[in-house]
Amino acid sequence: MLSRSLVLRLCAAAPLAFALAACSSNASTASSSAAQAPAGNAVKIGIDLPLSGADSSVGRSTLNGMLLAIEQANAKGLPGGVTLQPDQLDDAVQGVHSPQQGVANARTFISDDGVLVMLGPYNSNVAAAQIPVTNAAGLAQISASTVSDGLTLGDDAKNLRRANPTTNTFFRVSTTDSRQGAAAARFARQLGKKTVYIIDDNETYGLDLANVFEKDFTQLGGTVIGHDHIDKGTQDFKALLTKIAATKPDLIFYGGTTSTGAGLIRQQMFDVGLGNTAFMGGDGIPDIATVAGPRADGTYYTVAAPNADKLLSARQFVRDYEARFHEPIGPYSANAYAATQVAIAAIAAATKENGGKVPTRAQVLAQIAKTNALSTPIGPVGFDAGGDVLEPVVSLYTIKNGQPVFISQQSVSK
Amino acid sequence: MVYAIAAIVIAFAVAIDRVRTKRTKLLLLAGLAVLLAVAPRLGGSDASVNALVDIGIYVVLALGLNVVVGFAGLLDLGYAAFFAIGAYTYAMLASPQFGLHLPFWVLLFLAAALASLCGIVLGAPTLRLRGDYLAIVTLGFGEIVPQVFQNLTKYTGGPNGIGALDVPTFFGIPFGQSALPYYYVTLAAIALTLLLTNNLRASRLGRAWMAIREDQLAAAHAGIDTTRSKLAAFALGASFSGFAGVIFAAKLSLVSPDLFQFQVSVLVVSMLVLGGMGNIPGVVVGAVLLGLLNGTVLPQLDTIATDVLHVHADLTQASFLIYGVILVGLMLFRPEGLLPDRERRAEMHAAPNEVV
Amino acid sequence: MHEFLAQLVNGISLGGIYALIAIGYTMVYGIAELINFAHGDVYTLGTFVALAIFGALGISGELHGIALVVDSGLALIGAAVCCGLIGMAMERLAYRRLRNAPRLAPLITAIGVSFILQNLMQLWKGSAPIPFPAVLPNPRFDLGPVSITAQQIAVVALAVAAMFALQIVVTRTRTGAAMRAVAQDRQAASLMGVDVDRTIAITFLIAGLLAGVGGFVSGVYYQSTWFLNGFSAGLKAFTAAVLGGIGNIAGAMLGGFLIGIIESFATWLIGGQWSNVTVFAILILVLVLKPSGLLGERVPEKV
Repeated sequence: MLSRSLVLRLCAAAPLAFALAACSSNASTASSSAAQAPAGNAVKIGIDLPLSGADSSVGRSTLNGMLLAIEQANAKGLPGGVTLQPDQLDDAVQGVHSPQQGVANARTFISDDGVLVMLGPYNSNVAAAQIPVTNAAGLAQISASTVSDGLTLGDDAKNLRRANPTTNTFFRVSTTDSRQGAAAARFARQLGKKTVYIIDDNETYGLDLANVFEKDFTQLGGTVIGHDHIDKGTQDFKALLTKIAATKPDLIFYGGTTSTGAGLIRQQMFDVGLGNTAFMGGDGIPDIATVAGPRADGTYYTVAAPNADKLLSARQFVRDYEARFHEPIGPYSANAYAATQVAIAAIAAATKENGGKVPTRAQVLAQIAKTNALSTPIGPVGFDAGGDVLEPVVSLYTIKNGQPVFISQQSVSK
Repeated sequence: MVYAIAAIVIAFAVAIDRVRTKRTKLLLLAGLAVLLAVAPRLGGSDASVNALVDIGIYVVLALGLNVVVGFAGLLDLGYAAFFAIGAYTYAMLASPQFGLHLPFWVLLFLAAALASLCGIVLGAPTLRLRGDYLAIVTLGFGEIVPQVFQNLTKYTGGPNGIGALDVPTFFGIPFGQSALPYYYVTLAAIALTLLLTNNLRASRLGRAWMAIREDQLAAAHAGIDTTRSKLAAFALGASFSGFAGVIFAAKLSLVSPDLFQFQVSVLVVSMLVLGGMGNIPGVVVGAVLLGLLNGTVLPQLDTIATDVLHVHADLTQASFLIYGVILVGLMLFRPEGLLPDRERRAEMHAAPNEVV
Repeated sequence: MHEFLAQLVNGISLGGIYALIAIGYTMVYGIAELINFAHGDVYTLGTFVALAIFGALGISGELHGIALVVDSGLALIGAAVCCGLIGMAMERLAYRRLRNAPRLAPLITAIGVSFILQNLMQLWKGSAPIPFPAVLPNPRFDLGPVSITAQQIAVVALAVAAMFALQIVVTRTRTGAAMRAVAQDRQAASLMGVDVDRTIAITFLIAGLLAGVGGFVSGVYYQSTWFLNGFSAGLKAFTAAVLGGIGNIAGAMLGGFLIGIIESFATWLIGGQWSNVTVFAILILVLVLKPSGLLGERVPEKV
């Protein structure tokens, strides 16, 4: 009996729901354009990051960098009385960052007329899926952390932009794997290392970085003894390190992040007699001491920014961040802040150009592309035609007593 | 719009499940088909159409897995592997990767065939295993396949995967970046899957599966070739997954190994169990509910918290928790699924250990 | 030869941890016929609890003398008891009501419980890896060509001891007899006066205790953990249980050690990125040749 009445109710509900669908969709398109027109000054910034699951901590600290920049800009006020409104969506599904969800989120932003620019994503393969969609729609996106070369360089990038080949919508303040890997190889040679054993985490960022390092280190006259990849979720690296110990390298280079293995590898090096061997990585491991503790000392790493001690904006940013969120900055918080600064500056400039009215996506995009020497916590930011940072600088740090110590920096081009 | 369409589909599925006569069922189904066909025309953004396609692909996957788990009773925990095989087939044969550009429509069926071949290769040596041993073998296969795609960097692009896949065309007209063409392709795929699985269920093979599911020994004694029937279930189930993989890859324009992890297999199994294993309307309901939850509700938790609940909480951080509580709660509330299979329901209530 | 032995030692000590988790899997499966997917997360929770206890005691460095025994004992027992209780609670809340439900229903709740535990740990400590203090001294012993650390020996000894203790419980005690009876035929056992609910609850308690011990050991041994640790360790341990013959305690231990050794050798000889593939490929191969695992008995499909 109960089930029969359920059926009836549901059958009755179906057309109703359908009517609702029709109205609500009309209403939503109406309201979003309405939100833009009468209020006249609200601009949404879409944010796509992994906010749940395995990447949630790093996703959250990246988000915080963005939110801080938006809050500060709103407090200071923008031309035309524009107020910025962050709209963040999670691109992790069942705890794993998902290109599929990233595209769904990008389309959500595109469908919302109030969104003028999008920040993110965090992962390179999410970006590779999003770029064709944002390119076709003409929505600018700025990423704080993606590193894969193919997003901005060469035929790969051209293929991603095939819907609209003359327009580039993808920008990033992070440095490509090829620039960073090359810089790391030069640093390693400058440190006098002759032989290296390379390990990578077999993920987008780590594998590409390690491959570039391998190529450049060899070109600079060094010897690569071996190159191994690890499986995700590995906790025990003793088998791999035992094998490496037998080859006695000057340096172990790790392509990957602290969480995919750098911390544990550094720690377990001591268990197989490799404690005194140098260990080096890229900008995925500045937080290595959080896992390896005192054993992190002596680790080298590169960061794609000028010496942070000399950069006023960097110190100011760290102070502001810690005051606002009561926790230390994450690995990409400063990048995220810089990416958001770019977006905000572009919105401000486009508003002015538009006579104090809320600009269009195309106007904002044009301003982002014109960004030049904008002062940020990671140094001055401007973009080349492909969407990469102009005149990038890579710095080398080491860890002493758990603290980062600057060693040297170099400019890198493609 | 996504919510409303999902509600409509669920309402129709429940109605189709409850009505007795075949004619009414067909009428309802035709009504639903018409509604869904015109739905995108009545407004609704590209984003909602895209979300519906994502849910639709889950529906195809769930219906396909239902053949293996629901009809034949073989627990498959590595179904995402076949999905990966389908998607990579499209990616390798229709992209700049090898400069091959085979047509989408051909690859749809080629991928289905390839996936079912893989199903046979995996199934042939392992199908004599007892229930849960089979589960772990399929789980192992599900772990191996994406890892192999990840490791063979030269051919598969490694962890980066393959991007910029060909945009399908329909009689020379390219699909473009809109989600709408994929919506209709997915609708057609669902219709085809429904037709095929429903016919399979009523076929000789379908009855053999049910006999095996209930009592393998008795089925064998009754003259059913159990190994062959099981293999058929495996191969057919896999083919739907391969089919869905092509649509998925073409729409996303990218494949990468992390799209086909264990979580995907688990998600599809959850859809079956939650909806009602073996029962086609139930499976559709399960797929729509969990697809909606994962693709639309959970990613927007922060927005929902502020806009709807008017609280400033970091709900996204707890999205796993919310999902877990929903799974456990629904299972405790309806252990046999939301719309259980009628024959199974009868069994359950006749089961002697119901007394304990 | 040199490296062979060194890798064997690596593999066996890694396998010890898998064995501790696998025994819990196998017991629960043998008695309740449930693949408890949340078991790996209970193991991770063990590390988190031990970490919290060390934190509460204000310990961040190496322990010596009496403090070594008392404090690490406290953390070990705390982790074990906590995980045991969580195991029982899980059974009571999420599985007991489903005992006569369709077979896959408890599988889904197990997955749900796994998500809940993972998310709670993530909310507690974040999603980044977290350090575990190096509390136990770890002297190295040079035995001819290979060197072994004290902790490696301890891991293996613990796994073997746990197995023997459990064998005694299962074969010599009343509870053990009840467990075997329930495993054989739940209904008959119940008719013979065995308290089925209590027996299954105790099984979950023991499995949880062992997972807690495993969690403590892994924290001390690797000096690090993170909230998803249990996912891949649990998957390997489950594989180990099946490889050894699910339901068989000695089999779980054997399976654990074998998986550890296979993983080490695969990393050494083939390359780290193939270690999971090798583990699962060998599993499939073994099951094809010996369908009920290495030490499993051939049992006909239950009717």
